[in-house]
Amino acid sequence: MKLSSHQVGDVAVLEPKGKIMGGPDATLLHDHLHDLIKENKKNVVIDLAKVDWMNSTGLGILISGLTTLRNNGGELKLANVTEKIESLLTITKLITVFENYDSVEEAVGSF
Amino acid sequence: MPEVQKSKNRIVIPSSQDYLVEVDRFLETRLKEAGMNESDLADVAISVSEAVNNAIFHGNKCDLKKKITVRVKVESGTVEVQVEDQGRGFDLSEIPNPVEGDNLLKQVGRGIFIIKSLMDRLDFSFAPEGGTILKMYKSFQTTRRSSSSEAGLPLAE
Repeated sequence: MKLSSHQVGDVAVLEPKGKIMGGPDATLLHDHLHDLIKENKKNVVIDLAKVDWMNSTGLGILISGLTTLRNNGGELKLANVTEKIESLLTITKLITVFENYDSVEEAVGSF
Repeated sequence: MPEVQKSKNRIVIPSSQDYLVEVDRFLETRLKEAGMNESDLADVAISVSEAVNNAIFHGNKCDLKKKITVRVKVESGTVEVQVEDQGRGFDLSEIPNPVEGDNLLKQVGRGIFIIKSLMDRLDFSFAPEGGTILKMYKSFQTTRRSSSSEAGLPLAE
């Protein structure tokens, strides 16, 4: 997995790419999310357009980011959720937990 | 002795997540060769990554001296993947339902649930001398004719 990020106004947009399955790559996403929280950047969009798939480790990282951001008065939203990941979110009922949008622009605009 | 041992249908890794990518590459190569479509391949790859993570953490407790063996068998449009660790086994009935109540927001505990959802069947067995073997099965449609008749399709003319 590779990870890039940029800022749109006061919203941080993270763009992971590849597969999120655990190990060093997943740690990268986890650490980046928690660095944003330390920097007091509370509103985050994760653009999943280029993520082939993720497993429960990836879902755990999303939940960890979401709960930490919410506890600090922020929010984590998802954009461009692929069919495979949407299916996983549905199976695990996490679709009811995350707000997800068809584009990064919509997700950013929703804050 | 190399850290990773690999043959066409088998890979053996130490108990570390550093080797997940290696297992994924092995699996992708083997299943693409069998003609498995992208969607089914992703389902199997996700399930195997869950099983290997469980074997690393819950089975072998991250003991690098202990190995995890992944075996793949493709026959008549069905793939069977076996993930074997050298741990002490576990009680399936003790795994909480990850979609119930407060479990929904827990960071861990979805692995087996996801495997059950994505694969057609899974069987656990526990060896008396230690070690858990998880076998999982999925039937699939091929996207193209495979290089052999293993997917149950006629050979290319």
